[in-house]
Amino acid sequence: MSQFLEISGLNARIDADGQEKQILRGVDLSIPPGEVHVIMGPNGSGKSTLSYVLAGRDDYEVTSGSVQFQGQDLLAMEPEERAAAGLFLAFQSPVELPGVNNANFLRTAINAVRRARGQEELDAVAFLKLAREAAKTLSMAPDMLKRNVNVGFSGGEKKRNEVLQMTLLQPTFAILDETDSGLDVDALRVVAEGVNRLRAPTFSALVITHHQKLLDYLVPDRIHVMAKGRIILSGGPELARQIDQEGYAKFLSEAA
Amino acid sequence: MRDENQLHAAVVELVAMDDASIKYSTVQNWYPGDEEGRGGIYNFVTKRGACRGARSKISWTQVETGSAITWKYPSCILQGEGSVGEFYSVAVTNNCQQADTGTKMIHLGRNTRSTIIAKTISAGRSDSTYRGLVRVQPKASGARNFTQCDSLLIGDRCGAHTVPYIECRNMAARVEHEATTSKISEDQLFYCRQRGLSEEDAVGLIVNGFCRDVLKELPMEFAVEAQKLLQISLEGSVG
Repeated sequence: MSQFLEISGLNARIDADGQEKQILRGVDLSIPPGEVHVIMGPNGSGKSTLSYVLAGRDDYEVTSGSVQFQGQDLLAMEPEERAAAGLFLAFQSPVELPGVNNANFLRTAINAVRRARGQEELDAVAFLKLAREAAKTLSMAPDMLKRNVNVGFSGGEKKRNEVLQMTLLQPTFAILDETDSGLDVDALRVVAEGVNRLRAPTFSALVITHHQKLLDYLVPDRIHVMAKGRIILSGGPELARQIDQEGYAKFLSEAA
Repeated sequence: MRDENQLHAAVVELVAMDDASIKYSTVQNWYPGDEEGRGGIYNFVTKRGACRGARSKISWTQVETGSAITWKYPSCILQGEGSVGEFYSVAVTNNCQQADTGTKMIHLGRNTRSTIIAKTISAGRSDSTYRGLVRVQPKASGARNFTQCDSLLIGDRCGAHTVPYIECRNMAARVEHEATTSKISEDQLFYCRQRGLSEEDAVGLIVNGFCRDVLKELPMEFAVEAQKLLQISLEGSVG
């Protein structure tokens, strides 16, 4: 059956200082449309690698396996084609772009994606109206649109900026890579609300997190536990609470 | 196919009297030769300015993207008391181009000030050099200079060089020099591409951001053209 996102037998490695290191070891995961799935797992289990491989970072070599995204072979596409197809990655550590105005960056990105989707481009006035409204709903200071992309932003501001981009780019599939790390409760709620506002029968999300707190606001459909490069356990929302109370150790030893 | 080189030699002289100010902007895209460095213009240019009057000002702004070889050092002789010299430059080199450009700020009068902002972007097998002189003569008490040179490298076969000459003969002068060298990082490119930008658009955006301090000195219609020119000059320089 054709799923929204279907990852099967995904193996990937990275060339680190001349040494090949296998990070993903047979990831199987399918996400139906309209669902929010969560990946939890100890540090170094391959969660961030999975998000990078899905977004198309070429430092990682996919050695076997496949990823189908809305009927397309995701792994054959360039990063910008994946973005145009509706995939969005909220980065764990968003990079700084010195001298590049945030509003200008956003408008360039939105119009690139709109062009690729066969939609009309937004002019400066229409864009600014949209961006200001979105910034307001995310309780962002208006001057963040005027500042350079992520330059001198605090940790929380960077994460809000990721959510702002997500809101404006209207993805059908969003990956949030520890977007909640280092955030206070208010910022956490903003991130969760950003995702919740996008929720629709045609929108899915994959949320990587360590904390139950975010999930209180998000209400996920499925929880997956990742360890040593593969999904070792899947369950409902109660699984996250169990991990929060008991830690990973129990599940890891059971899976071994 | 041109396999010979042509020479472009020009002389520009500016003189500013009391309270006058002159702003001179250039965008240069002469034929740079082919990918192997065959052909192209030798761009050897003399540009100099004299701030003769009190409180006079000369401001040079240049965007250099073309020519096989560029040698160009627009200068200011700061003679009038309180006169001001400025030099804002972007030089882009790709393939086998060489650009050796900078300025001379010669402080003669009291309380003269100069600002130098030079941005160089090197790609392919090209070399880009900032070469500049700041000289403060004994009578130029209270003279001030600020110089900033930033180099951006694209790829691993190009070079960026910064050669500042500073000659200060007055104890009451202040001369500052800052320089940085950076590369467009894979992280920056990937971030832009994940947001839907093509690799070339991403490079264009990052390079234009890097040059922002200089481009904003250009007249409006020049600035738009210069931005496009930067991107065209760097086409095919990554990936």
